[in-house]
Amino acid sequence: MKLHNMFKKTVGKEHGTSKNTKVRNVPEGLLKKCNKCGAAILAEDAVNNNYICPKCHGYFRMHAGRRIEMIADPGTFEEWDAKMKFENPLEFSGYEEKVRRLREQTGLDEAVVTGKVMVAGHPAVIGVCDGRFMMASMGEVVGEKITRAIERATKENLPVILFACSGGARMQEGIVSLMQMAKTAAALKRHSEKGLLYVSVLTDPTTGGVTASFAMLGDIILAEPNALIGFAGPRVIEQTIGKKLPKGFQRSEFLLEHGFVDRIVERSEMKSVLARILHMHDRTKEKTEESTGETEKIESTTQEDTMPKQVRSKGGISAWERVLLSRKTDRPVGTDYVNMLFSDFMEFHGDRLFRDDPAVAGGIAMFGNIPVTVIAQVKGKTTKENVTRNFAMMSPEGYRKTLRLIRQAEKFGRPVICIVDTPGAFCGQEAEEHGQGEAIASNLYELSSIKVPIVSVLIGEGGSGGALALAVADEVWILENSVYSVLSPEGFASILWKDSKRASEAAEVMKLTADDLKCLGIVEQVIREPKSYTSQTMAGVCEELKNMLSVFLKKYGSMDERQLLNHRYDRFRKM
Amino acid sequence: MIEKILIANRGEIAVRIIRACREMGIETVAVYSEADKEALHTQLADEAVCIGPAQASESYLNMQNLISAALVSGADAIHPGFGFLSENAKFAELCEQCEITFIGPDSKVIGKMGNKTEARATMIAAGIPVIRGTNGAVLDLEEGKKEAARIGYPVIIKAALGGGGKGMRTAQSEEEFESCFVTARKEAEKAFGDGTMYIEHFVEHPRHIEFQIIADSYGNIVHLGERDCSIQRNHQKMIEECPCAALSDELRKKMGETAVKAARAAGYTNAGTVEFLLEKDGTFYFMEMNTRIQVEHPVTECVTGIDLIKEQIRIANGGELTFRQEDIRMTGHAIECRINAEIPERNFTPSAGRITDLHLPGGNGIRVDTAVYSGCEVLPYYDSMLAKLIVHGKDRREAVDKMRSALGEIIIEGIGTNVDYQYEISENEDFISGKTDVDFIRRLSSETA
Repeated sequence: MKLHNMFKKTVGKEHGTSKNTKVRNVPEGLLKKCNKCGAAILAEDAVNNNYICPKCHGYFRMHAGRRIEMIADPGTFEEWDAKMKFENPLEFSGYEEKVRRLREQTGLDEAVVTGKVMVAGHPAVIGVCDGRFMMASMGEVVGEKITRAIERATKENLPVILFACSGGARMQEGIVSLMQMAKTAAALKRHSEKGLLYVSVLTDPTTGGVTASFAMLGDIILAEPNALIGFAGPRVIEQTIGKKLPKGFQRSEFLLEHGFVDRIVERSEMKSVLARILHMHDRTKEKTEESTGETEKIESTTQEDTMPKQVRSKGGISAWERVLLSRKTDRPVGTDYVNMLFSDFMEFHGDRLFRDDPAVAGGIAMFGNIPVTVIAQVKGKTTKENVTRNFAMMSPEGYRKTLRLIRQAEKFGRPVICIVDTPGAFCGQEAEEHGQGEAIASNLYELSSIKVPIVSVLIGEGGSGGALALAVADEVWILENSVYSVLSPEGFASILWKDSKRASEAAEVMKLTADDLKCLGIVEQVIREPKSYTSQTMAGVCEELKNMLSVFLKKYGSMDERQLLNHRYDRFRKM
Repeated sequence: MIEKILIANRGEIAVRIIRACREMGIETVAVYSEADKEALHTQLADEAVCIGPAQASESYLNMQNLISAALVSGADAIHPGFGFLSENAKFAELCEQCEITFIGPDSKVIGKMGNKTEARATMIAAGIPVIRGTNGAVLDLEEGKKEAARIGYPVIIKAALGGGGKGMRTAQSEEEFESCFVTARKEAEKAFGDGTMYIEHFVEHPRHIEFQIIADSYGNIVHLGERDCSIQRNHQKMIEECPCAALSDELRKKMGETAVKAARAAGYTNAGTVEFLLEKDGTFYFMEMNTRIQVEHPVTECVTGIDLIKEQIRIANGGELTFRQEDIRMTGHAIECRINAEIPERNFTPSAGRITDLHLPGGNGIRVDTAVYSGCEVLPYYDSMLAKLIVHGKDRREAVDKMRSALGEIIIEGIGTNVDYQYEISENEDFISGKTDVDFIRRLSSETA
């Protein structure tokens, strides 16, 4: 039975909403319509939720003041250049009036607020764009305020954090506005040359001339989720090429995948992430050496502990068996070591050129109280994860990410620890198209002269050039059942003997086991493994690695640059 | 002046409110979720506004959509019914801010009574008896022993963060206290990572007695007698009746006066309920105040002849109560049985689907409040209550006989219901003789199991 229109309506009334004359309005500011999902939401709920829609989790644009409150330790913000003289360089009609009106409406002087703050006790120079002011487009005043803030940071040896949000260059100021791009970029270059940190945070939207200048120049580039980030706007692109753009094009996640953003950071975590980054780059706390006595003690124990083990017998395991062991799926993978050896690992993504390669993970972490850069080739623990990580076979983008992060380590004086575990560099069409050979070669070339200590640990498979690109180091260590070779025994057998089935035979003659490599002087240290080596039983190996790393960092950290580079040069020169 | 009411609810209570409005010549706006397009309340109201998808969180609990619906339809007032947003202080406040009359008490009163600690403190300050207990956390055994002696045995020891019976022990005497306290605390530490304990007097086999209150904005507060809601399963009421067999006229008067005092202390307006626990010896304690119309309100309507929904609307419209306490006369005995879409044999799991055939009883002293009709769909998203059967006889015996007869006449085909289970209760000797308390269903289940 359907009941549609079967009941008589309320007696004595005419019906229909249209004739209702009562007009009642929601009080101003009580409700707000989410411009992402269209839902009506209580303004108060959005405010309490960091200006994020409680329904669709879309991010609303934030006023500069709120943004600073969210980041700064209470009461620490000191505004710089609050009042700047405004000029209308092109004498653009109506521009002055527009700026005057916006100043009244927003209480802002211009589209960016700059100054100095403390973030969890770390001083930093901050600049925050405010979209309410002509979509935070960059005119002379914006460019000047940012430049002055950067220059002052350079002078006072302070890190810079810029929250970008902009429509781009300010059209009303024409060519003068274009020059702000070069001006801010130049100021950042000088800041960087002094070895200072710049963190760029991209918020919705970051486009045009701002993307093509200060926004994309961060040592570390963070982005809020789902922010529109691009040079040309999507509408302009669609009109130009006459094609519909894919969903998610130019969003933060798209940029992360394409290697232009280090990390996407939720608003609720922004302060803690910035605080961790500042902490790991804090130059005031640098080089707090422990007593030398302790160093010696560590050195002596490791020497005693590890050296005799290296000459122990091979335990009756054949080379081929070791190849198979090195490939075992339950062996600890790169991320296991990162978690066991370091604290506070913060992964940074992307090569800043084309893509982020998931076959390799890199970032900054703390080794005890020393900030370090860690790069790890990562196999998956499941087939699904392996497919995502491409079985730790890196693409050119992966080598370029590695090089970018190692250069970053060099700039900030951080030692580099590489964890190597790859069947080889990825062998595929795109890899060749994007220059696999060039990428590996560049790594060998550049790593030879990186002015910070580098150590590589082979934890599983050390497949050819794919492994070497992460092993141009001051020392190379290898786990007992790891292998390192010019190519796989299967490949070796098929090239030399035209029969890949003779792989086990090839393994014996290739001298690819840890002890063989030690004898050949390819590696400095061999780390013994327990009988059954899995992530459950890796604690002992990690303890030993930690001790060895302490010794390494003491030894190579105390060398001057020339000594270090000569040592690394000689290491390979004699091979 | 209220000329149009939006009913922010569904099911039988929405229908009940729409009917009252129809009688009063007030226009009605129903709200419905996408799943409730064919529901009776949607069809019966003068207008209906869809407020979102089936999940209650997206529709019947979506404050913004409800407010928008009220503004768009030009409703003067919102009746929240029970459940959903009926005791949500934030929603009431939103209505106030948008100048929509919320049919119920002030948002601040809802907030105050909704906070158990604040409600308890308000009642203690007003001299209303509450269950004796510790005022703060008990930190060690010795202190606990002292407190337990002060409170009086038996006592119940509860974890501050407790739930699901974990970290809860009943001690009958001081000898038992130590081991109970220690194990309860150990359990709490293990389960919630916190060993903060509270001690309260334990009421054995209490009855759940509540008093209906009605108050206008001019300081007039009247109670409309009690309802005995002792027949519950897992704190879900199944049968409610008035008057309560265990109340003498004297005790009824005393509890009624206390309920009025409690309502006054809360600054209450509109219809509400004061819940008490009643011990065998006639001692009673304030439990909580429900700041809304209750499911079982028809029981009170039957014995007092007062239409509570209409009174709610009159009061919300600024009207004064038209009766005084001395005008209230209770006639006969009323019992309400909740008919739910649930399968008692399968531990009362809810049952959903289409009602293929339906026959509901009627006749002298029989009232059925429901929103189901033949061919309607019972949805899995919402509460499983299908109907309320309310019987009114000259005395309890006649009421029980009517209840049994009416239950025996109910036919609901297509889904599982608890009709037969209710019928069994109507034949139970303890029930017939009025020997009920909150453990009645537990005893019944263990007998049949």
